Amino acid sequence: MSTLLEVSGVSVTFDGFRAINNLTFQIGPAEMRAVIGPNGAGKTTFMDIITGKTRPDSGRVLWGEKSTSLLSLSESQIARAGVGRKFQRPTVFEDQSVRENLMLAVENKRGPLSVLRFRAAGKDHEKVAALAQEIGLAGALERKAGELSHGQKQWLEIGMLLAQNPRLLLVDEPAAGMTPAEREHTTDILVEAARTRAVVVVEHDMEFVRRLNCKVTVLHEGAVLAEGSLDHVTQNEKVIEVYLGR
Amino acid sequence: MVDISSPAGKSTRKPLVLQYPSVALFLIILSLFTAIITLLGEGFGIGLISTSFVKTLGKTLCLCLAALAMDLVWGYTGILSLGHMAFFGIGGYAIGMWLMYARTEIIVRDSLSASALPPTAQEISDGIATQIFGVVGASEFPPIWALAHSLPLQLAAVVLVPGLLALVFGWLAFRSRVTGVYLSILTQAMTLALSLYLFQNDSGLRGNNGLSGLQNLPGLDTVPQSTISILFFWASALALGLGYLLCAWMVSGKFGSVMRAIRDDENRVRFLGYSVEAYKLFVFTFTAVICGIAGALYYPQAGIINPAEMAPIASIYLAVWVAIGGRGRLYGAVIGAAFVSLLSTWFTGGQAPDVSLGFYTIQWVDWWTILLGFSFVAVTLFAPRGIGGLVDRFTERRAPVRHGADLGPDSGSLREKEAEE
Repeated sequence: MSTLLEVSGVSVTFDGFRAINNLTFQIGPAEMRAVIGPNGAGKTTFMDIITGKTRPDSGRVLWGEKSTSLLSLSESQIARAGVGRKFQRPTVFEDQSVRENLMLAVENKRGPLSVLRFRAAGKDHEKVAALAQEIGLAGALERKAGELSHGQKQWLEIGMLLAQNPRLLLVDEPAAGMTPAEREHTTDILVEAARTRAVVVVEHDMEFVRRLNCKVTVLHEGAVLAEGSLDHVTQNEKVIEVYLGR
Repeated sequence: MVDISSPAGKSTRKPLVLQYPSVALFLIILSLFTAIITLLGEGFGIGLISTSFVKTLGKTLCLCLAALAMDLVWGYTGILSLGHMAFFGIGGYAIGMWLMYARTEIIVRDSLSASALPPTAQEISDGIATQIFGVVGASEFPPIWALAHSLPLQLAAVVLVPGLLALVFGWLAFRSRVTGVYLSILTQAMTLALSLYLFQNDSGLRGNNGLSGLQNLPGLDTVPQSTISILFFWASALALGLGYLLCAWMVSGKFGSVMRAIRDDENRVRFLGYSVEAYKLFVFTFTAVICGIAGALYYPQAGIINPAEMAPIASIYLAVWVAIGGRGRLYGAVIGAAFVSLLSTWFTGGQAPDVSLGFYTIQWVDWWTILLGFSFVAVTLFAPRGIGGLVDRFTERRAPVRHGADLGPDSGSLREKEAEE
């Protein structure tokens, strides 16, 4: 199986604290992966490294068919290469309407001069409308994002992520603050997305991970502790000890 | 009036003026104002208002244009630049150099034409240099004046020099991800350094004397100042009108959406794939050019420019005007600049009556700055939306768009569709 993203031997240290320790990880072009681990296991730092927010001290991060190194690219270049990220706390532009938020994310040229001349074409409006339908905000397109409920903001951010049309989705705790019905819908969207692209979900909620029904990577102290199906890793003694240990 | 930040139209973008009534309203008010001043002025009208007041109003329009630029860079993009008046001053110096050169050239040619032999080019050049630089003890043209003989080249400098300076400065600052108060301090340092440099006699721009006599246009000695003042007033009004349209066009579309997104959460914008640095650099440079043009229109009306005009305080005033007028709305910047700078002229011009407290007399010339400082603090604390916030009070009475909101506390309650039936 070909790989879309290959992280190998990556380490990062903050003030002497080893947040990521010789981490190795890879994911294929159409694959779902759940990443679990106790607090401080390095889940968020792991995402920061892939998206270019944090530079590792050592190791390689290779991307795509041509195996380009992501380490030399800026955050915006990495995003344009096809890495989309959803943050734990919903971060939408509260002062702007749902339509403007989605329009910002829709895949189009990102340079200042192209954006200055940009006029939304029919296909852009269709895409926004379709996404709004999918995330249940079709009737709220003209509302300011700041007026939305917490769950709706989560939806909006997922919608923005899909609008970017990324090849790899990094999703940090997508189900936080959602009702059971909303969680189910989120699962459906993520599973659907994973048919055509790579999806990495960081999640605490074991029930949610179980429903994703995918390969699981357990992080502990900045390194991979175990990898495999959920049942496989939950039976791993080391995992039980550090994570599930009760 | 409709807030400029309202969403873009459905499928086709309507003409800007129709889409945002505030733009049309602004242009109508500006045209009416220009017409009234023309009628009342001494140049073409009945002479009810003095030429010097016409000049004050013309200068105010230029300051409004600079405030528009400040609003783009600060109110919309969130970069608190405290150095934009440096670009304004550079624009003034660029046009001032040609004005001084060309006018002195005419004078020197006249005086030399009396001699028996026709003067050589070198004699004329030396004559001009002595006239201009005698005051700083020099008699040769510094290299910086190489293009001063040409109006088109100096006009190009009005745009290019502020633009290039902003481009280089911005590239260095934004590339290193300098933001917030650190960027403000850097921009202050830039304008202070420029002003200190120009204060030196050997800077080539006449040190603290600055450039003077700029109100006398070369070759137009026979045209009275009352007429010239109206012409400059028109030019300033035209520049402000065009600048307003251009800024409104910029902030209305997706570009404006990106600008406001950068202001609110620049990291998030990066993860959407936008190069935040490129956008900041674009806006910073663009607004520097606007300031340069505003300065080039301002100083011929002021008549004199010296390095004190680029002192850090000038740029701080610019920020104060925008804050008092209301950030993030173009008309707010214009209202703030016009209101505060005219009030400032009134207070510091000695027209405001002194207030006698018995034991102490408040003289507004001294106390105006303190009053302005208190107003700034008060606006920041109690009315962060500034004077422009008053407009919201009217518009917010109309119901905001709330389609899609839950009508009741839970999903079982009445939905919007049912309610409409």
